[in-house]
Amino acid sequence: MIDAPRTGMDYHSLNAMLNLYDTEGNIQFDKDREAAREYFLQHVNQNTVFFHSLKERLDYLVEKKYYEPEVLAQYDFTFIQALTERAYSKKFRFPTFLGAFKYYTSYTLKTFDGKRYLERYEDRVVMVALTLAAGDEGLATALVDEIVSGRFQPATPTFLNAGKAQRGEFVSCFLLRIEDNMESIGRSINSALQLSKRGGGVALSLSNIREAGAPIKHIENQSSGIIPVMKLLEDSFTYANQLGARQGAGAVYLSAHHPDIMKFLDTKRENADEKIRIKTLSLGVVVPDITFELARKNEEMYLFSPYDVERVYGVPFGDISISEKYHEMVDDARIRKTKISARQFFQTVAELQFESGYPYVVFEDTVNNANPVAGRINMSNLCSEILQVNTPSTFNEDLTYEEIGKDISCNLGSMNIATAMDGGDLEKTVEIAVRGLTAVSTQSAIDAVPSIRYGNDRAHAIGLGQMNLHGYLGRERIHYGSEEGVDFTNIYFYTVLFHAIAASNTIAKEQGTAFEGFENSKYASGEFFDKYTDQEWVPATARVAALFEDAGIAIPTQEDWRELKAKVQEHGIFNQNLQAVPPTGSISYINNSTSSIHPIASRIEIRKEGKLGRVYYPAPFMDNENLEYFQDAYEIGPEKIIDTYAAATQHVDQGLSLTLFFKDTATTRDINKAQIYAWRKGIKTIYYIRIRQLALEGTEVDGCVSCML
Amino acid sequence: MTEKLTLVSHVDAINWNRIQDEKDVEVWNRLTANFWLPEKVPLSGDVQSWATLTPEEQTLTMRVFTGLTLLDTIQGTVGAVSLIPDALTPHEEAVYTNIAFMESVHAKSYSSIFSTLCSTPEIDAAFRWSTENQNLQRKAQIVLDYYHGDDPLKRKVASTLLESFLFYSGFYLPMYWSSRAKLTNTADLIRLIIRDEAVHGYYIGYKFQKGLEAESEARREELKDYTFSLLYDLYENEVQYTHDLYDPLGMAEDVKKFLHYNANKALMNLGYEALFPSTVTDVSPAILSALSPNADENHDFFSGSGSSYVIGKHEETTDDDWDF
Repeated sequence: MIDAPRTGMDYHSLNAMLNLYDTEGNIQFDKDREAAREYFLQHVNQNTVFFHSLKERLDYLVEKKYYEPEVLAQYDFTFIQALTERAYSKKFRFPTFLGAFKYYTSYTLKTFDGKRYLERYEDRVVMVALTLAAGDEGLATALVDEIVSGRFQPATPTFLNAGKAQRGEFVSCFLLRIEDNMESIGRSINSALQLSKRGGGVALSLSNIREAGAPIKHIENQSSGIIPVMKLLEDSFTYANQLGARQGAGAVYLSAHHPDIMKFLDTKRENADEKIRIKTLSLGVVVPDITFELARKNEEMYLFSPYDVERVYGVPFGDISISEKYHEMVDDARIRKTKISARQFFQTVAELQFESGYPYVVFEDTVNNANPVAGRINMSNLCSEILQVNTPSTFNEDLTYEEIGKDISCNLGSMNIATAMDGGDLEKTVEIAVRGLTAVSTQSAIDAVPSIRYGNDRAHAIGLGQMNLHGYLGRERIHYGSEEGVDFTNIYFYTVLFHAIAASNTIAKEQGTAFEGFENSKYASGEFFDKYTDQEWVPATARVAALFEDAGIAIPTQEDWRELKAKVQEHGIFNQNLQAVPPTGSISYINNSTSSIHPIASRIEIRKEGKLGRVYYPAPFMDNENLEYFQDAYEIGPEKIIDTYAAATQHVDQGLSLTLFFKDTATTRDINKAQIYAWRKGIKTIYYIRIRQLALEGTEVDGCVSCML
Repeated sequence: MTEKLTLVSHVDAINWNRIQDEKDVEVWNRLTANFWLPEKVPLSGDVQSWATLTPEEQTLTMRVFTGLTLLDTIQGTVGAVSLIPDALTPHEEAVYTNIAFMESVHAKSYSSIFSTLCSTPEIDAAFRWSTENQNLQRKAQIVLDYYHGDDPLKRKVASTLLESFLFYSGFYLPMYWSSRAKLTNTADLIRLIIRDEAVHGYYIGYKFQKGLEAESEARREELKDYTFSLLYDLYENEVQYTHDLYDPLGMAEDVKKFLHYNANKALMNLGYEALFPSTVTDVSPAILSALSPNADENHDFFSGSGSSYVIGKHEETTDDDWDF
């Protein structure tokens, strides 16, 4: 695209000035707003296709195969026109340069040659709402209101693709099991390719695959173990991308007690050999409670051959509770085993996290104890917030399915805590969000991977997330991780949970059906509700009580829960899973939020991606007066982050992407201590570990905001 | 080269428990924590981006990198090594060996970039250009001459100017591309190099200032005059070199501001006042912000490795840590 000639500074330079103090030592927020303005004047307006009327525009876009005619055909044109006017009447403006830049670079509809823009932000929102509402005018209107106001933001795949004729899928995340046979491994690679092509991250569990040196057809020392499978997967993800919009991305999970665990970790070593080095595949380890117990006693931990375990127990290794069977397996001579020091294992994990940020950690027993649904959780996804049950598939020799198992997909979307509180109607915001996400599930049918389709059709799992916690707290002059900060997080998530279950219950009633297996869940037995009916949940601090009161948001009472329990036991809930808090990268920039419920990584964040280059982003609501409430994550430290997440975790049925931040003065022991603390506080998963190294004194760039503490 | 190599004549076993200069330990720790190899950066992610550059832009980029390769080769095989015999402490010697090694890693990194992005004839043509470009060769010759000279402090001056000044006409380009969302993985790799060079220049400059303390007033005057005249020589040549490289794309003026900025930085490392006034050092903020050697950027983990991870310090947990 060609920019208009300019007289002043270009928008990239203006944006970069955010990272440089002015002569008085103030952060130059106005330069970023100027950058956003100049971006529109110099670039967006110049390169946007002009239409005389909405009619002309829609006809053109349908005729030229940019928009899906089926979406528009569900509505009267007059309604679409009124809805578009409604969206534009909200006078939406991008408050930051990165928000606008990200939207136009990655989301908006462009001409096929990539040279002109065919949508403004409001047009995209309308198309998303029309698509998800599937002909329901009331829902379409409500979705436009919630999205334009910033209270609800669908995840990237939905927001990017909805209504476009040439597009990927709306679903964010896929999780696949791999079984211990060549058919399953081959099928998994095919599935990884197919799902990457359609968008969304893919995670695979390697725990069931037999270890290096295990027998094949009873001949000893034949198997090459999991590393070559990882290599195949990594190359598959690199090859497939979603029309260039997103690079394929994948993660693999392995049980801590798999014999190849150390080799698995070593693939991320700085000096790993090229043949085994894994660059772009993300790694996660699944750690049961027993591993912590063994480390506490400073004992060795046994690693068990998945090949033998499956033969002894008749089920795949990943479906066994290691904590429960550990001593039994240690004593069973039929199971081959090796051992390593448990503390050494944890230290190695911490070393690797220092060097590479990986692996993610899933606390297996915490996750399964908190799971309200029948079945076993043995892995997570690319962002470690999806935690759902799965079942294995079996294959015929020609790779067709003998029995289709249940694999996992999840449709994500996040609420902006600040605007949701400002809106004053949390019940409605949550309900519309749940309906929007449910629509993604009911409209998705991923036939390329039958086990995904099978799982989705039966579970209708969604993941309602939250973001902008730190932005909200900062604006309200509450310190992140303080007593009030944790109190707010607890009550907010408590309230959201109530409304999410209520909404899913309403949908089940309307549809006349609950998710498959509801009758075996803790929702049906009522056990799930005990902690809300037996115990009173109210704000512990006056400040938080006042925040909810001033916003006009009622906090559900024990009586409310009793009523909800009765309704749920009668009609069920439609979605097997309801909440999951993703890390929210791109969408939080568009939505002017801080990421997820993390603290900010930096007051002025340096964002780097392939499509954007290096761009600078100011924390939302931060100004030169309230800087003290915008401490960054490295200053806040791991404990307060864990406390905040623990408050939220108890009200979330799936997981939350939890990144821990350390200064470079930390050692592996500090990371281990944080992991132990997280595990004890009931945290379910840990996402990245991030280390910040400041420039050596004397080598920094003068007057640079991100260089200073 | 037939001249005889000067080696340190007497060596005692290095004792890291007796430290004369804390700076040696600080820099050693920083450099080792920053150890990296080019294989960790997924350069292949830039192949598509490379294809979007015009042929002129591709040629410029390759020439810039061959120029940088030459400088890193000099610094790795001659520069850092030549500083060892003059080291004030045994730990300083150890730091130079690390610097020398990392310079060789840098030199090899450019080859990784080339082999990922370009064809063999293109690579050969770029290297041919580097041996034929007079300004580049002159730059190399000036620095080499001083390394072979017999004044240890002058060697440090030459080395600091190379680390903190001469590299930057080349570093400008990848920073420029990355601010325009091009070759971002390559820029990550270059930022790792910048991270190292920033420490190298700072450290050698610091050691120069230490050495200066023991010198007479007259000798200090001489060294200061020498530093500025060497800088002028190098600067004039550098301006020519910049025009050779960047004129075809009309970027030379902005690159020159960047040279001024870094010349000041180099002088600062040596303990001298700035030469260029702020009116000619107003580098584009996009480039300046991209330079920050801090490891704090928030990258998209799924498409790049970033330039922010370091090798951690191991520490065993104790029984108290596991007391739950």
